[in-house]
Amino acid sequence: MPDKGHNQVKQAVAQHKLQRLKKLITRFEPTVDIGVKISTGFAPIDDYLMQGGGGGLPCGGVHEVVAARPGDMAAALGFAHRLAARFLAASQDETILLYGQTHAAVREGGQPYAPALAAHDLSGVHLAYLDGVTLPDLLWAGEEALACPAIGCSLLASWDTAPDFTASRRLTLAARAATRPLLLTLGAAAAGTASAATTRWQLASAPRQGWQVTLTKSRLAYEAVPPPQGWTVYPQHKPLPMQELAVDGVPHDVKTPVPLMAAQRVS
Amino acid sequence: MSRQPTPQKPLHKPNPSGRRIVALWFPHWAAEVTAFDYEAAQPFALIDKHKNAQRLIALNPVAQAAGLHMGMALADARALAPELKTAMADNRQAKAQLEKCAKWLQRYTPWVGHDTAVETPHGLAEYGLLMDVSGCAHLFGGERVMLADMAARLEKRGVSLRAAIAGTIGAAWGLARFSPTLITVLPEGQEAEAVLRLPPAALRIDNGHIDLCQRLGLETVAQLARFPRRDLTRRFGPLPVMRLEQALGQAGESLNPCLPPPHFLVQQNLAQGITQIEALADLLRGLCAQLAAQLHDEGQGAQRLDVTLTRSDNAVLALSLTLAHPSADAQHMARLFDERLGRLSRGVDAGYGIEQIRLTASRTAPIAPPQDAINLSGRLRQAAPVAALGHFYDRLISRLGPQTVLKPVPQASHIPERAVKLVSVLNAVPPPVLEAVPDPQTRPLFMLCAPEPIEVIAEIPEGAPYRFRWRRVLHEVIAAHGPERISPEWWTGFMGEDATRHMVHYNRHTRDYYRVEDRQGHRFWLYRDGLYDRETTMPRWFMHGVFP
Repeated sequence: MPDKGHNQVKQAVAQHKLQRLKKLITRFEPTVDIGVKISTGFAPIDDYLMQGGGGGLPCGGVHEVVAARPGDMAAALGFAHRLAARFLAASQDETILLYGQTHAAVREGGQPYAPALAAHDLSGVHLAYLDGVTLPDLLWAGEEALACPAIGCSLLASWDTAPDFTASRRLTLAARAATRPLLLTLGAAAAGTASAATTRWQLASAPRQGWQVTLTKSRLAYEAVPPPQGWTVYPQHKPLPMQELAVDGVPHDVKTPVPLMAAQRVS
Repeated sequence: MSRQPTPQKPLHKPNPSGRRIVALWFPHWAAEVTAFDYEAAQPFALIDKHKNAQRLIALNPVAQAAGLHMGMALADARALAPELKTAMADNRQAKAQLEKCAKWLQRYTPWVGHDTAVETPHGLAEYGLLMDVSGCAHLFGGERVMLADMAARLEKRGVSLRAAIAGTIGAAWGLARFSPTLITVLPEGQEAEAVLRLPPAALRIDNGHIDLCQRLGLETVAQLARFPRRDLTRRFGPLPVMRLEQALGQAGESLNPCLPPPHFLVQQNLAQGITQIEALADLLRGLCAQLAAQLHDEGQGAQRLDVTLTRSDNAVLALSLTLAHPSADAQHMARLFDERLGRLSRGVDAGYGIEQIRLTASRTAPIAPPQDAINLSGRLRQAAPVAALGHFYDRLISRLGPQTVLKPVPQASHIPERAVKLVSVLNAVPPPVLEAVPDPQTRPLFMLCAPEPIEVIAEIPEGAPYRFRWRRVLHEVIAAHGPERISPEWWTGFMGEDATRHMVHYNRHTRDYYRVEDRQGHRFWLYRDGLYDRETTMPRWFMHGVFP
C-alpha cells in the first residue's frame, strides 16, 4: 500500500514537472497561436478545441495530417481538404489553394479531381496544382506559397517521405510569419517522426463513410489532453445511401451467388 | 569676337544628296490627343510636371483670355485665375498616340523617324516627327499637295500641324517651327538662305545656347554663322556648330526610322571570359535592371525572356523563361534567373569562359503603370495579389517546369476523366471557378492517372463486386452505392477514324460505376467495363479513384 501511494506521488511529481516544462517551453515561444482561428466543422473535435478558451486552429501554422495505415492516405487528404476549406473561408478574399504532391503521391493516389472539390466545401476555389515533384521541391514550393499573399492556403502531400525536423521547423516559422496555414499530408511512415508543426492529426477511415481522427501532437497554447482514442466523425453532410452487402463477414442480400454455389455443390 | 568674321566654308553649297525631309510639329499634341471634360466658359489648362514644377502645356481660349500662357508655372496661373480647372497631361498616352501617328504616316513614306530630342524652354515634352520623302512626293501630286493632304487628314482628327519640307533635317525642323506659314515647301538648294533667316532657336540647340545668343544680341542664324566656327565652338561648345552645318547640308545626319517597334535587348561583352556561375548571375542581375528600365519606359512588361551566352569558343548557350504575367520588375527577373542558373550550375558548361551575355525580352505586353497612389479602395486592392500570384507562378515554373504547375479547366464531356483537364497555368484561359457537378459526392477526390484493372474474386451478378484484389491487397466490400451508368459518347464516332482512334481504349464500352466501402472503411470508385452479353462476354473491372 505505501508503495502504491509512493508511486502515485512519483507520478504526480512527474506530471507536475512535465506541465512546468511545457509552460516553460511555451514561454520561449509565447505566440504559438497566430492568426485567425478556425473551427474544424466537426462538432466533437471543435468541442475539444474550444474548451479552455482555445478558440480553434490558428491559421498561422503548419498542420500535419498523417495516415494511420497505408490505405488511409485518402482519408488524410480528405481531412486536410476540409481544413483547407475552413482556412480559405476564414481568409475572406484569397481563394487560391495550392495543392502539391510528390511523384509517389501521383503514382499511388492519382491526381486531384476538381469536380469533387465541391463535396469538400471547396467549390469556388481556384486550384493551383503541382503535379509530381520531389520532396525538397515540394517544401520549397510551400515556403514560396507562404511568401505569396495571393495563396490563401497550401496543401502538400507526400506519401513515402516526410520532412525532417529542421525543414518542418523552417516551414512552421514561415507560416507563423505569414499568418497563413500550410497543411502537410504524410503517409503512415511519418507517424512517429519528429516535427515542429503546430498540430499533427492522425486519420483512419472508419466504416460507414466516417473518419477516425486523433490529435497526436499539439503545440496549441492550451493544455487539455486530447482523448487518446480520438473522435469518429462523418464528413458528408448528407451521406450517400449505401447498400449493405455484408454483416459480420457474411454476405446478405446477395441472392444469385448462393444458388450458384449450391448448384456447384450438388453436381 | 570683335574681329571681322570670315566664313571658312562657302555657305551656299548645293545640297548634293537630293534628300527631301519633312518635319512635322504638333504644337498642341498632348492636349489634342487626350480627351478632357471641361466647361467651355471656364478657364481650363493641361499641366505637366517637370523638375517638380507644374507647368501649363495647353490652354483653352478662356484661359488665354485670362492672361495665362503656355509654359507658365501652375502656381502663377492660379494666382491670375483662381477658378482655373486643370488636368494632368498623360505623356505616356500622348507618346503612344504619336507612335500610332508615325505608323499611319507610313502611308506616305516607309521612312518615318522620331524627332530630334531637343531641350525645350520649360523642359516640357515636344511632339514631332521626321519623314524622309525622297522620291515619294510625286505619288501624291507633289510636295505641297502631299503636305496639305497630311494636314487636312490630321485636322479631321483634331490635330493641328505645322510642317516643312527641305533638303536637310535641320532646315525642315527649323522651318516647321519658325516659318510664318503653317506649311513650308523649300525648293532644293535653298536651305542656306532659309536657315540663315531663322532665329538661333531654330537650330535645335540647348536653352543655354539660346540665352547666350540673346545676350550677345544674335537674332538670326545668319548673325551666328558669320563667326568663325572655331570661335563659335570655343564659346558655345560643339553642338551649335554641328547643328548649323547639319542644317546647311555641310554635315551629314541620319534619320532613323522609329518602326519596327522597339526590340528590348541588353547585352554585355566581357573582356575576359568568365566561368563562375556566381559572376554570371551577378552580371545578369545588372542586365535585368537595364532591361527593366527599358521596358518601364515603354510601359511594357516582358512575357518571355531569353538569355544567350556566347562562349569564347563561339558555342552559344541559351536559356529562356516564360512569365505568367508580363513583368518589368528587375528584381523578379533576376530572381528567376538566379534560380535557373542555380540549377544549371550542374549542367552548364562554361568551357573556356563566357564572353558575351545578351538578354532579350522577345515577347512583351503592355502593362498598366504601377499604382503609386496611397488610396486603395476595395476594387483596386485586387491588383497587388494578381501581380504577387504571377511572380509566385513564375518562380514555381522556373524551378519546376511549366508542365508541373497546373490548373484544372472544365471540359465538355461526361466521361469522368475527360470532364476536367489539367493545363499549365501559363495557358491563357482564365482560371475557371469550378462548377459544382450535380452530386459531387459521387465523384472521388482523387482520380487515378489511368484506370487500373482489378481482380474481382466474387461479385454479385449485375451488381457490385463482393471481394476484389487491387495492388495485391484483398478488399472485402461491405457496402456499395450504384451503379451509375456512363455510356460512351456516341457522337465521337462520327468524327472520323483518326479522331476516335486514340479514345478507343477507354471509351468503347458502357461503364457501371460503383462506390464501395471495404471492411477497413476505405472507399473506392470502381467500374465494370462493358455491358454483359451486349458489349462483351467478359466484363472487366477497373479501379478509377479513391474517396476520402
